[in-house]
Amino acid sequence: MDLPGYYEYHCSVKVIAGHDALEKIPGILQDLHACRPMIVTDKGVAGAGLVDIVLGAVKDQLVIGAVADDVPPDSDLRVVNRLAALYREKGCDALIAVGGGSVMDTAKGINIVVSEGADDLMKFSGAGALKRPLKPLVAIPTTAGTGSEVTLVAVVKDHERHLKMAFVSYFLLPDVSILDSRMTLSLPAAITAATGMDAMTHAVEAYYGLSKNPLSDATALAAIRLISGNLVKATRNPSDREARLAMANAAALAGMAFSNSMVGMVHTLGHATGSVCGVPHGVCMAILLPYGLEYNRHKREAIMGELFFPMGGSDVFARTPKEQRTDRVIAYVRQMNQDLHDASGGRHARYFKEVSDREGKPAVPRERLPDIARTALGDGSIFYNPEELDYDDFLMVLEAAWEGVALDSGRIRE
Amino acid sequence: MLQPQSAYAFYSPTKILSGNKALENLPVELDGMNAVKPLILTTPGLSARGMEKVVASAFADSNLTIGVFAGIPAQPDLKLVRELYGLYRDNGYDAIIALGGGPVMDTAKALNVAVSGRPEDLESLADRNPLTKKLRPLVAILNLDLSGCEMTRYASLGPVSLTSPALIPNLMIIDSRTVPEEERKTLAATALMSMTQAVEACLHPARNPLTDAYAYGAARFIMENIINVLRNPSDRQGRLALANAAFFAQTVFDNLAPGMVYESGMAMSRSCRTNPGLIMGLLLPHFLLLEMKKETIVRNDLYLFIGGPEAFAGTMAEASPRKAVDRIVEILLEIQVLVADFPRSIRDVGIKREDLESLIPPLGTAGVRGGYGPQDIRDIMEKAWETRF
Amino acid sequence: MNSYKEIQSGSKPFKRAYVALMLWFVGRAIEAAARVDGVVKAEFDGLAPGFTFSLGVMPQGPTMIVGKDAQGLVKYRGWNTEGQKIDLKMKVKNLEGAILMFTFQESTALATARNRLIVDGEVPAACAIVRVLDIVEVYLLPKLIAKLAVKRYPDWSFGEKVRNRIRIYAGAVLGL
Repeated sequence: MDLPGYYEYHCSVKVIAGHDALEKIPGILQDLHACRPMIVTDKGVAGAGLVDIVLGAVKDQLVIGAVADDVPPDSDLRVVNRLAALYREKGCDALIAVGGGSVMDTAKGINIVVSEGADDLMKFSGAGALKRPLKPLVAIPTTAGTGSEVTLVAVVKDHERHLKMAFVSYFLLPDVSILDSRMTLSLPAAITAATGMDAMTHAVEAYYGLSKNPLSDATALAAIRLISGNLVKATRNPSDREARLAMANAAALAGMAFSNSMVGMVHTLGHATGSVCGVPHGVCMAILLPYGLEYNRHKREAIMGELFFPMGGSDVFARTPKEQRTDRVIAYVRQMNQDLHDASGGRHARYFKEVSDREGKPAVPRERLPDIARTALGDGSIFYNPEELDYDDFLMVLEAAWEGVALDSGRIRE
Repeated sequence: MLQPQSAYAFYSPTKILSGNKALENLPVELDGMNAVKPLILTTPGLSARGMEKVVASAFADSNLTIGVFAGIPAQPDLKLVRELYGLYRDNGYDAIIALGGGPVMDTAKALNVAVSGRPEDLESLADRNPLTKKLRPLVAILNLDLSGCEMTRYASLGPVSLTSPALIPNLMIIDSRTVPEEERKTLAATALMSMTQAVEACLHPARNPLTDAYAYGAARFIMENIINVLRNPSDRQGRLALANAAFFAQTVFDNLAPGMVYESGMAMSRSCRTNPGLIMGLLLPHFLLLEMKKETIVRNDLYLFIGGPEAFAGTMAEASPRKAVDRIVEILLEIQVLVADFPRSIRDVGIKREDLESLIPPLGTAGVRGGYGPQDIRDIMEKAWETRF
Repeated sequence: MNSYKEIQSGSKPFKRAYVALMLWFVGRAIEAAARVDGVVKAEFDGLAPGFTFSLGVMPQGPTMIVGKDAQGLVKYRGWNTEGQKIDLKMKVKNLEGAILMFTFQESTALATARNRLIVDGEVPAACAIVRVLDIVEVYLLPKLIAKLAVKRYPDWSFGEKVRNRIRIYAGAVLGL
């Protein structure tokens, strides 16, 4: 195991997992000296009956101050301020966020407003602006992928001023994350597949990235092992509780790995594709992951080969000579996409030309690839990628990922 | 790393800075915790070795004022904590930096409880009442002369023991300048303590994916570095890896109940005043041999932790548990060659055979788990008493 | 309690002076490179009019400031941040971190990976400035060292590189 010359690692989130972990909420809040939480969630989550499961798990033991179930997918500062006002009006003293990325970000934003008494959230953006613990925040993820239940970032948009404010602070980390299999049992196959590959990408990029460290390595390996054994299973059979809980664990582990080791070009291009073409994040991750491995291979060959152990299992690993392992890792990821494609009835996309929007039209037209490449140049995750990428490199990768062909190793500049 | 245990909780709040120039981040980290005037606690011994100067020099150009108390004795008590309470309050300190293991950390944790509320909170916590206040920032600068509890929720001052997750330090720094060369016996004891904590966590019935991940890091670093460092204590990177391993091991230890070897080792150590790590090292192989004989819960991938993926994958599944034990025994034998006057059996540390009985942790102690009774522990103890490596 | 004392944090005047000198030099080299190198110029052209950034050491300097003026020309703006509107602040967390960077023991990428820097401002601008710093480093350093400082050493033609390098050195040292 490598010890880098210097590293930092921090994940102060208490993780509580189980098939009936939600039942622990009253005790958790008591430990955090809170007794009147506000639940923050969105219509989709509430509509799927997940909030009812949470309420059922805490009934009679806890007074819920308010339930805000109308966080929009594209949440912004106005939503944050409105819900902060509701929090105060109802005399709440803690937040429970039930949902995915947008809900988590909104809850973190509300937490800054109500804890710091902020009238202008902007004052608290930027590094080091938050200096003390905020109100208790309990995160309950409803997908197994983003890892935002263990990350320290919140992005809040200000649609009026056309601003995107990023808040980065260890005080934004939830106090507790609850991983309960019931929260993902109703997740459709295609979303299970895409979000699961998002977690896979977090773990793989964390493992070969420039900020890798012993703890991000250990959590990444554990995540990859769990995803390799359970993602196809959960996609094929959504009601498999064990596979669901394993995936919830994997997503949190991968979240810890990448929020401490950061991610590289797969995310750089994924963020850009998302913002230019509106493709869901997990879909981009699944498609681009093999290319991150191929492009960086010459700098990280041995490290990438180690990933074949948690992917292929010990017997196959032992039988495969060292120099073939990276090939097998790349092939494994491609095969996984194929298996997920099959398990989801063809809804899990394997390459960009296969992705369609709500109306069934191609979501990533080939002529938009240059726009995506240009946008990618402005994404911070590029710093943590082992190899340099300029506009031409981004475009080359995008074209291969659009077509679904392997990178031409002769065109990768060393 | 099988399917995760279906229910678990895991908590490790400490931020880690490890490696080159880690100490120099102290001012910016303290600022992030809203602290500007730290009090460094350390021992006369570490101070004499220049450690406190190294830490103070990391503050150069920061314009901060720092306090240093370099008088932590081997057996600190509440009286000292009360004196330090006055000193902390009267001089306006707002954070504690504990430079050193064992007694320094115990004192720092207790002092932090007192200064974050009132001194009476200590008695209240000792009476097992929960803390009601957030504690002030506590920074740990880890070396390799450790008790095994520095980064955990436990602290003890003489007869007083304190337990609260809030005691866990907020920040831990591992920097080669403050992980000095130690005597080989001290190094071996610290590494064997970590090894015991990691291995017992691997075999713990309540283990989970996160304890497995930390235990894996601990076991890999110890196995890869302990012999190198004992051969060549000036191996800086090796010392850093062992300090990292100690932190990982303590973190899993903190998240699972103490195991049998740990409990028995502590009990024996108290009776003979020998470093508990050394005793645990002697008990561990016998515990593993017994564990192998039990039909129930030998995990078949312990050797992955001990030998690493390459060695594990290259071993037949049936042979793998035995390989794990053999490898640990090999390491112990090597340690005994490298460390002068390393005890070769429990007999060597001055415990009488007839006293073993009284040292068996009582049934129901956290470490004595299902499938094991006092007879099993007595067997382990007697074997470790008789058998000379 | 005679084991107790209170101490004032000292200072490291020599390291501070060295970093200040390097920052001055790099600041002026950026100004020169923006005139000489097409890629650097293009990066600055892509930034908003009046864009200004600082690179400095926490908690209180040294610092250097570079910005675009009304005509879009890139200028080194000295070390004093007072009264300047700065869009992007890049701060090394401490003097030792800056020494590691400016003695080329740690590349910009490694320093970022090791969390030695704090970036305050828009991320796309920060990406552009890091690319500029990389190019300037390649000009200023001998190939052997620059190869360690950047992820991928550019394959510029020899003649072009030498010409530009002379002009950038002239700009940085002599202000030509």
